[in-house]
Amino acid sequence: MNATAPAVQPRWKVALSMMINPGEVVKNQMSQVPWPFSLLISGLSFTLFFLQTGLDMLRTGQINTSTVVLITMLGLVYGTVGIALIAAMAWALAQGSERSYTIDWAISSFALGYSATLIYALLGVIFSLAFGWKTAVAFGVTGVLWALRPTLFTVRQMSGDRIAFSIALATLCGAILLFGWALLGRLGF
Amino acid sequence: MEMNLGYAGSAGQKTVKFWPVYLCFLVFGILIPFSKPEFSWMTLLSSMFLALVMGLLAVNMLIMLLNNGNPVLRAESGGQFAREAVSNGMLFMIPFTVLAVLALVVLGWNAVMPFASAAITTAAATAGTEVMKKGAQGMKNMMIPTVIAMLVSTGWMLLVGILP
Repeated sequence: MNATAPAVQPRWKVALSMMINPGEVVKNQMSQVPWPFSLLISGLSFTLFFLQTGLDMLRTGQINTSTVVLITMLGLVYGTVGIALIAAMAWALAQGSERSYTIDWAISSFALGYSATLIYALLGVIFSLAFGWKTAVAFGVTGVLWALRPTLFTVRQMSGDRIAFSIALATLCGAILLFGWALLGRLGF
Repeated sequence: MEMNLGYAGSAGQKTVKFWPVYLCFLVFGILIPFSKPEFSWMTLLSSMFLALVMGLLAVNMLIMLLNNGNPVLRAESGGQFAREAVSNGMLFMIPFTVLAVLALVVLGWNAVMPFASAAITTAAATAGTEVMKKGAQGMKNMMIPTVIAMLVSTGWMLLVGILP
């Protein structure tokens, strides 16, 4: 892990930096961010993303209001427990412990990567409620795609700059997330 | 921790390969006609051609502008630093390309362009990060790739809309 002591920044600024320059944040600033804060970001992101999914399905008459609430809660679980599990898997595969990265660091870095997803999800919910648009794919999936860059940098950092490995593992993580979401939609919700 | 990616300070010049980048563009070009309501071979061929043109445009504009924006690094590396940074950075299109294929083929989503747009923007921004790792200074190295990526992806989206 980086031995230099970085200047302390407010957590919201670190979250914003994660969207613009994830390489720098992952390298130097993640030690300032506790994992509960990061999981709050990813949890909120997926809660709002799943809320949009529920609203889209409610409009087409596929589900009722109580199922929308259930799907939204599922999003919270997906964005916290799910992301933590994926981060733990990536940490284990990248052998992060051999490079002094703790599992807390990995979870925090993975989860904070969903800052951009949160912005997209917020915008999606606004457009969904205000204009009645179907926003789950346009805003939700796009938001998840924007989290791939921080994921790539996190894996790259944990794996000791192995580019090909980082690309493969980030692809796997992205696929698990998108397919997991799509699968939930096909399970009869 | 080793951070030079194997090129900074290495003896001799590293061979820079762009074929994975162009392959990603080509795959997007192939996917686009399949996300339209009706498939035609003419659309496929013109989409593949358009994708390759967009790829060439993105790569060469990035190299040219990053070279022009960092004359000291260009002189030190013999003009290689921008090519290496762009080829490394643009490799980050691969996850988006794979996910776009899976989304279309397995899930049946007709949403290729959001994947392409995110791929170009992410890859270009990563090329900027690679340049900064090589010692370049200033936010311009982050801004220039992002602006180019936005222009290329917007132009591509508009042109896809008028494909035959």
